[in-house]
Order: sequence, then structure tokens, then C-alpha cells
Amino acid sequence: MIRTELTRSTPAFSRAFSRSYTSRRDLLPTTQSPIITKLDFFNSVGGKDNPIPTYRLIDGVGKPLQGAQLPDIDKDYARKLYEHMQLLPTLDNVLYNVQRQGKISFYMTAYGEEATIIGSAAALEKDDEVLGQYREMGVLLWRGFTIDNIMAQVFGNENDTSGKGRQMPVHFGSPEHHFHTISSPLATQIPQAAGVAYALRRMPNRRSQNIAACYFGEGAASEGDFHAGFMLASTIPSPVLYIARNNGFAISTPSSEQYNGDGIASRGPGYGIDTIRVDGNDVLAVLTAVREARRRCLEQGRAVLVESMSYRVGHHSTSDDSFAYRARSEVEDKKRIDNPITRFRLFMESQGWWDADAETELKARLKADVMKAFKKADSLKRPELGQLFTDVYGGEEPWNIKEQRQELVGLLKKYGQIWEPWRKELGKFRNTGQDLLNPQGR
Amino acid sequence: MNPLKGTYLSRRLSSFYLSVSARHSRCNSTSATPPADGHLPSVASSEILRTKREAGLRTPGIKWADEDSSAPTRIIVGGRETRKMNTYQAIRDAMSIALAKDESTVVFGEDVAFGGVFRCTMGLAEEFGKERVFNTPLTEQGIAGFGIGLALMGHTAIAEIQFADYILPAFDQIVNEAAKIRYRSGGGYNAGGLTIRTPTMSVGHGALYHSQSPEGFFMGASGLKVVIPRSPIQAKGLLLSSIRDPNPVIFMEPKILYRSAVEQVPIDDYELPLGEAEVLIPGSDLTLLTWGTPVYHCETALHLLQSPPPELQPVIPASLRSANIELIDLRSILPWDVKTVAESVSRTGRLVIVHEAGMTAGVGAEISAEIQKRCFLKLNAPVRRVTGWDLPVGLQYEKFNIPDAIRILDAVVETLAY
Repeated sequence: MIRTELTRSTPAFSRAFSRSYTSRRDLLPTTQSPIITKLDFFNSVGGKDNPIPTYRLIDGVGKPLQGAQLPDIDKDYARKLYEHMQLLPTLDNVLYNVQRQGKISFYMTAYGEEATIIGSAAALEKDDEVLGQYREMGVLLWRGFTIDNIMAQVFGNENDTSGKGRQMPVHFGSPEHHFHTISSPLATQIPQAAGVAYALRRMPNRRSQNIAACYFGEGAASEGDFHAGFMLASTIPSPVLYIARNNGFAISTPSSEQYNGDGIASRGPGYGIDTIRVDGNDVLAVLTAVREARRRCLEQGRAVLVESMSYRVGHHSTSDDSFAYRARSEVEDKKRIDNPITRFRLFMESQGWWDADAETELKARLKADVMKAFKKADSLKRPELGQLFTDVYGGEEPWNIKEQRQELVGLLKKYGQIWEPWRKELGKFRNTGQDLLNPQGR
Repeated sequence: MNPLKGTYLSRRLSSFYLSVSARHSRCNSTSATPPADGHLPSVASSEILRTKREAGLRTPGIKWADEDSSAPTRIIVGGRETRKMNTYQAIRDAMSIALAKDESTVVFGEDVAFGGVFRCTMGLAEEFGKERVFNTPLTEQGIAGFGIGLALMGHTAIAEIQFADYILPAFDQIVNEAAKIRYRSGGGYNAGGLTIRTPTMSVGHGALYHSQSPEGFFMGASGLKVVIPRSPIQAKGLLLSSIRDPNPVIFMEPKILYRSAVEQVPIDDYELPLGEAEVLIPGSDLTLLTWGTPVYHCETALHLLQSPPPELQPVIPASLRSANIELIDLRSILPWDVKTVAESVSRTGRLVIVHEAGMTAGVGAEISAEIQKRCFLKLNAPVRRVTGWDLPVGLQYEKFNIPDAIRILDAVVETLAY
């Protein structure tokens, strides 16, 4: 869509890309490149002074823009979107504070990106394979991963189905929900998503049914793996939908220090993939754009890029104080002027789908659900200590791991009750380490 | 930009002259006169290579992986066939079996579609289709990541990195991702279907970036397996095991052996065990441990020890010439076979480790430390390492950098005489 618009409006672009135009010109052999005699440099896919536009449907106060074609959604669906958008800050508030109290070691909020995450989650099929970065917890929630599951992972307790308490908080995963386990190294999931999508293409029961959806921030897009993944997914046709969350910051680095081009969207055409930029604070625009992107992705069997523009309202993580590099007033302004949740609430109110009572009821209910799950998670033990050593290899366990487990058992027998740091720590594990010390007798 | 400075072109030029020289060495292997390359005759005439059908079928540890495997081995051996193959043909044969037997298997990498710069994938694209055997753009981190993605979906991914020297851009994907996925997901996901093949070790003129032996860099990446074969039979059996192993495997192929090592390779589907060393020559006085190309340098060194040519006789004490040296091919770097090595050293009391990579923090360092711990009271001499120097591989200096037969011989003599 962008491509046709741009072709119409910008001669520089059309010189390079329009087929009808090139057919009348001399081409450089073995290329689609028309030959010209005018010395003309360019540095924008949209042509000079013509940045890539942003797709938006409703304005800051929830009013449809002139000419906007709203998606066909009913009251129940809108409420579901809204409830999930509200669930994110409810969880974020509690878990952020819980981290501040030292009950969990780390946390990352998604403040300001609720529309990007929930809107895109809603546009995907529930069995599309998702490979995320770390700020996409909402996709799992949309798919039915419970608040208890979330809590179990961030607490790393015995109910943690994401990773048996091995990974830092917010590193969720669930094969059942087709959500690949999050890992900390940035952008590594981008070429992996191309491989996942290629596998989907080769599975008779999923070919033309499912795509891989891959999320990453604009900072991660500076990694080499971004380049690798985009190139692979376009040259080895793979139905992968890349969703770039451009929230303006990579920890302290503003996007102006991350790239000099027109955001992430400008790179898509360079790899020959269909691209759109969307207002990430407009859940209806995100929903519509990602739905259409998904459709193209399946139809072409090739990568598609959606760049969702938002603003990271929260700190990068609980280890970051963002007011060290940006003004508090800037953040407050953003929250007030362009809040994705408020914007959608106003839209729903204008449709007669929502009111102050519903808002009060929802907030109270979500808070109660989250607190209940939090209390439960807080009361549970960690997994069994023996899980420290499992799942490194499939099949037979190598000798070094076997021997090192036995060495720890010997040390635990010797020091487990007389070395205070260990004695205290053992008490936090299910079976207090007895699964290691006494594997038969437990 | 000067195109000659581009990695792409220089890499292509290198592979071209490598293949030219490899053709040259194949001619040598059938000729009676020894070639200028001092180490090649040992590969051409090696007694370690199984050049007879019966010997090939009796490869130790061989496990037939076809329908007949339930029948008694004796009868099966009688009925099975072998074919004369060099290493690249054996590797091609293994991939062909993997592709034929498992529909989810795909083979990909730089230039694999036309057959590969070392011919390991010759004809596979024609036989199995471009959807299953295909080129990727020139991106090692991408190749590894793409393979991980396929493996995450339970598919079998055989990725090729054109030279082991170029595996380092994929180090993050291999060490942080492939090796750790099973653990970090609590067993929910894994990259077990991934095998990364890559040509390794010196080739006579590969210089800095067509000679490296990076196995040591991966030895600490728990969750990964690292395998290095010494011959065509080994390459086929170990590669099929690697492809089917439920863990990501880096399979390093000594590139000088692609054409020079020839054996009678069983044509059926068979596997050789990962994580197990093989005793090639039993002995009682010293354990000589190595893997890949230096296996043949070790063999040459043992011949020199036993019957030194006149010019070497003054430096080889007559009393040591009848020493029984045990030669072991480690085969798997991770996990390595501590049992076989420690048992051997406990008997012989002496250990010399040979590898092409530099000494500092190389694989030999790990093995020395572990053997020193396990065999302290049995050791009659310090564990000796014969390795490449701690230097990049300079083009014109290779003969003085690699652990060749004379350096191995010297270390063996000194360790015996200690």
C-alpha cells in the first residue's frame, strides 16, 4: 500500500521501483535499474522531504479520523481488547512495586505500549508462532496464559512453566501458547523467526495457516541479527511478520542516536519486503495494520514489516532510572496527551460501550485478580534444587554434569546445615534440597 | 570500494585455490612418488584408513541404522556393501541418507546449492529439491539463527559454515542461544535438530582465515556437542549420529582430508557413537591423544620412532624405539571421553596431546588438567602438549607452526625419556 502511494507522489522513488516506468527506459543489464544521466543521490525511500507516513484511525481523544475505515469489531471484542490493555499496567504496577520491595529480582513494564502489544496480539491467530524480545507479556495473556503463570515465572517458583526458575523475570515462554521462550540477548530471535517461518511453510498442516510473528525494539534493530533475519526472510521466502516496537528509547539511548534514517520502516523496502508504519498508541490502527500484514505475509509467504510508533513511558527496567536521561515532564506530558488506554476508552465511551462504572468495576477486579495471584506466588517454594542440573542436554547426561552434581551433593552434606548462607537458601526450595541429598528417600 | 578488499571475493578466491590444490593432492595420493607436502604421504598410505571392504564393515562401534539392524551382525556384515569414498563423498552420502529418511531435513548455507565449495553437497539440490537444499545470503549469524528456528519447530537443520574461521559471527547464536535453549525453557523448547558442519584445520596454505581450529572456543558451551572425524567412515557415521542427536552439534571437518583420505565406506545407514574416543593403536608406554588431521602426523611420528631414517637416528635413543605407544582419536571434543583417556594414561603413565589450535586455553589444557587430577599417582612424566603456537597462522610459516610429525616425535621421545 505504502509502495503505491509513494510511487505516485515521488518521482525519485518511482524511478527506482515502478515497473511501468522502467519498461520504457534502458535498464542496467541483469537489474531492474533504469539508466539516467542526471547525478542524483537519495537517502529516503519516500523521496526528498517525504518521510514515511503513520497509519492512524482514531485521534488522541478517541474520535475516528476523517476517511478512517474502522475495523469491524463489536462491543464484546472491544471490551476484551480494553480489559487486556488495562491488565498490563495493573500487573506492571504490582510487580514493579514488588521488585522495589525486593520480593522479585527484576521487572520490566510495558507502560505506553499497551496498544501495540494487545492490538497486534489480537490480530494474530492464537497458534501463530511468536518470538518476542521481552516487553510482550500481553501477547501471552491474550492467548490465555494466566496471571498465575506470569507470577510463577517472575517469582521463579515451583509452578514456573516457562523455565523452572532458571531465567530472570519476564523471560516467559510456553509451547502450548506458541510463544517461544524469551532470552536476554537482543535480536537473536529475528533470524530464528525466519527459520521458524520456513519450518511452518514446510509443514503440510500449517502451511498457509500460520505465520511466525517476531517482536523487537528499535534498539535491537541495530544488531547484526536484524540485518541477517530480514535478508533471510526475504530471500528464502518465509512467512514471518516483523513487528518493530519503536518506543523512542533503548535504555538511555534516544532513537536519534540509534539511526539516522527514517526509523525502522525505511529499511523494509531495502530488503524487498512490504512495510507499514502505524500509530502504536491507536489500538484499532495496530489491529487493522497487523491483520492486513498477516494476510500479506501468508499470501506472499514472505516477510512483512510493521513499525509501531509509541513512547516508552516507564523506565527501561527496574535497574534503570530514566529521569537521569529524560525530563520527568516529558514523560508526564506523553502519558497525558497521548495515552493509548485513555484514547481507546474515550472511543468506547463514544460508542456507548463503556462508562465510569464499568471502569471502576474493571480496575477493582483486575487489581484483586493480580493481588490474589501475587500472594499465591509469593507463598510458593522454588523448584527442586536438582533442577539446577537438568535439561542441559537431551538424551544421556554427560559425565561432567553427573560428577558435578555429585560434588554439590557432597558439599551440601558437609556444609548444608552449618554454612548459614546455604542453610537459609535451602529452605526456599521445594524439598529443601532433599531431591539431591536423598534421591531415593523423598 | 576496491572489490578485491571485499571479504566475499577474497573468500571465493581462496576456496578456488584450495580446491585446485586439493585436486593436486588427490593426484599425489595415487602416485608412487612422495609429494612435496611432507605430511600427505601418511594420509595416502595410512594403515589407520580402512581401505578393504571387510575392514570398513568391521569399523569398531558401528551401529547399523537401517531396517536390518535387528538381525545378527555377523550375517549382516556378510551381506553389506562398501564403496570407495573420500571424506567429502562420505559426508555427502550421510546428508543424502538424512534427507531421504527424514522429510523435515533441510541443508543450507553459503553456496551449498551448486554442490558447495568443497563439493560436500554435490547433487543434493537436484536430488531433493531447492526447498530442501538451498543457498543462504552471506551471513553466518543468520545461518545459525535460521537453523535454530527450524530446530525450534522440531525440524532437522543441517547448516554449513563455509570455513570454521567464519563461525565466529555465529558465536552468539551458538553459545547464547542454541546451547542454552533447552535449559532456559525448562525443556519446553530445544535446538536439538541443529547440526552445523564446518571445514576446519590447516590445508597447507590457508593462512589466518582458512586454517583455524576453533573447537576450544566451544568446549565450555555446555548444551552443545562438538565432533571432529578423522576419515570418511568416521565422517559418515559421526555425522549421521550428530544429525540425529537430540542436541545441537558442531561438526568440524578437517578440510585437508576431504580428498586425501579414502576408505571403503559402508553404503548403508550407520552411526558411530558421540562422546566416545577410539583407540587406534593399543600400547603400554605412552598415550598419544589427538583428533582430526594430526591423527596422521601422529601415525607418521610413530613410524619414525620405530625405524628412524639415518639422519634422525642420532636424536632417537635406541632404547626408546621399541616403545609401545597407544594412539587415541578423541573424536568428540564436547563431551569428551574422559573414561577412555584416563584408563589409558593410568596404564601408560604418560600423555602427549596433539592439536592444531594454539596451546593457551586450548582443548589440551582442559584435558591435561582433568587427567592430572585423575591420574596424579600414575603419571611418570608431565602431560605434554604439542600444538600450534599461540599465534595466528601465517601463510608462509605454516610448516613451522603446525604440530607436525617431527614435533610430535620430539615430544614423545622427551616424555618417554623423562
